[in-house]
Amino acid sequence: MGGLITEAHVLYVDLSTRKVRKETLDPTLVRNYLGGRGLATKLLADSNGAKVEPLSPANKLIFAAGLLTGTTAPTGGRYMVVTKSPLTGTVASSNAGGFFGAELRKAGWTMVVVEGASSEPVYLSINDGHAEIRDAADVWGKDTHHTTNTLVAACGAGVRVACIGPAGENLSLIASVMNDKNRAAGRSGVGAVMGSKKLKAIVVKGSTPPKVADEAEFKKVVKQQVEALRKNAVTGEALPALGTKVLDSIINSSGLYPTNNFQQGTFAGIDEVNGEALVNKQYLKKKTSCFACPIACGRSTELPDGSKGEGPEYETGWAFGACCGVNDLIAVTKANFLCNELGLDTISAGVTIATAMELYEKGHIPKDDLKNAVEPRFGSSEAIIYYTRAMAMREGLGAKMADGSHRLATAYGHPEMSMTVKKQEIPAYDPRGVQGQALQYATSNRGGCHVRGYMISPEILGVPEKLDPQMIEGKAGWVKAFQDLTAVIDSAGLCLFTSFALNAADYCALINAATGFGFIVEDVMKTGERIWNLERQFNLAAGISPAEDTLPKRFLHDPMPDGPQKGAVVKLSVLLPEYYKLRGWDTKGIPTREKITELGV
Amino acid sequence: MISVKFYTLLRLLLQQNEVQLEGAAGTVAHVLEQAQERVPTPFLHKLRDESGALIKGTIILVNGRNILHLDDLATMVKDGDVVSLFPPGGGG
Repeated sequence: MGGLITEAHVLYVDLSTRKVRKETLDPTLVRNYLGGRGLATKLLADSNGAKVEPLSPANKLIFAAGLLTGTTAPTGGRYMVVTKSPLTGTVASSNAGGFFGAELRKAGWTMVVVEGASSEPVYLSINDGHAEIRDAADVWGKDTHHTTNTLVAACGAGVRVACIGPAGENLSLIASVMNDKNRAAGRSGVGAVMGSKKLKAIVVKGSTPPKVADEAEFKKVVKQQVEALRKNAVTGEALPALGTKVLDSIINSSGLYPTNNFQQGTFAGIDEVNGEALVNKQYLKKKTSCFACPIACGRSTELPDGSKGEGPEYETGWAFGACCGVNDLIAVTKANFLCNELGLDTISAGVTIATAMELYEKGHIPKDDLKNAVEPRFGSSEAIIYYTRAMAMREGLGAKMADGSHRLATAYGHPEMSMTVKKQEIPAYDPRGVQGQALQYATSNRGGCHVRGYMISPEILGVPEKLDPQMIEGKAGWVKAFQDLTAVIDSAGLCLFTSFALNAADYCALINAATGFGFIVEDVMKTGERIWNLERQFNLAAGISPAEDTLPKRFLHDPMPDGPQKGAVVKLSVLLPEYYKLRGWDTKGIPTREKITELGV
Repeated sequence: MISVKFYTLLRLLLQQNEVQLEGAAGTVAHVLEQAQERVPTPFLHKLRDESGALIKGTIILVNGRNILHLDDLATMVKDGDVVSLFPPGGGG
């Protein structure tokens, strides 16, 4: 297939009618929304996607490659799973790496839009321009590794597979879509949407990478940027050596490592479970990389009992570690392996178990509800493994946990013990320790999310410059800039980790060489702002109120009890109005007509 | 006693978690030199460039507070303090 990078071909697959059709998008849409997150959200929004029931056949499930996915752009292999989230009710756009996205683009497709629902389990087989819906009875009920192995054997070596595990089949609202076995489109329950359509997997084989506009210039820019990534201390040294778990000690020593369900900010057991331990205990066997990636932050790991897999990543290691009070790296790694095999979002799974632990220890879950299973108590290695499986299989208390911590805590009368924003679990940084990151959590278009406006970078890591995490001044502007630029990186199909070494001008040069768009940096930032506002409009249309731009009371009212951030609370009442103003929204958080017109949303 | 703690890449490089310094009170710059003298493997180049300036992204904490918000390398360290050293790191 191949074709120019600016040609966005869309494959529509209707599982109700079993009909397949193809469309090529207006190139203006590619210019305005790039690809991946931006373009798929536009398609979803334009088809009235904000109004559907997420687990109904009417919800579209979109697999969207980024603008540069499948080229030699450094880290140019990312793709998005975009849909209306059954967990949050907002737009979901779950990002993943590996090789599936690049293969999709090589098959000639920017997006696959799955509509309707099948009455029987099926999988979709894509071979360049040819798509077939096939029976999946043989793999329904099987974990993601078994499924992938079976489908590769059936469809031929060289295919790439994205699939759900039992969690998605059981419609767990925290189910993920896994590709290339261990890469996760984790957040927001995208796996449940796939399960609701009885779509077990997509298998893809592509023969021709997309063509860029100016090959010589593109090659030159790529070479220079790969060099920058290799030379940079974070992307060239820290991430390859330690993976994302380079962060454990940094965040813990800074006093914002959420412990025991965000009740404390430092974890005494850190040295048993940090990134250094993963290396020194020799569970790390080798580093791995995604398509076209010079960084190689992936971890191929093996435990003393012979169990193998990838990870844990920082978020996963924290969610099953300190968040659950567990200092047992073997148990943490096993829970991580289980999430990958069963198809569960590790952040939401770990935080949901931690919520169960707090609820149980405070006497809010009757022992009878455990059905004789292990008690969910902080520090229990057995509990984190048991309840991961129980959630995926909806067994015992797991049936109530499978839909995330908000629904669990609400069922037991204490929603305030669920650390979520818009019902999605907050990740591995206590917001009381970082005011800018706190604002990102409160305002992210997909709920509790760290990565769409990663303020940890300036506030703790000191990149691109060091900001005082407790200072308020200027933070709203930084959050907006990070959110807008991240939307561009996501839509371009690049990995966010490139931003430790590259800046907006670099992304501009790369996009221009690939497309011939002739952007200046302001155009790039405006594109990001457009995508952000599109998502905001979608959420408002879906009935998500700006009142949900907030944080759990624990972070607003309970001072951090320990560590270097002791005494801190989030000053959201100061941060939020300034953010709305900078975004060009009214005081209620609604984008003004002027802003919408200016951006052409 | 001043406790100098090694993390992330430093911990892997030095294969030790920390070094205790006696009578080393002074600036952070001074403490770094003292710590280097106590370990067999050079490590300061992971934190500073040739000019002696901190590499962007290097994190040095004194009792949990980043020296960039105190007095940088001139921040005073006294007996009982904990100095934590991290070469640049990142993730998500």
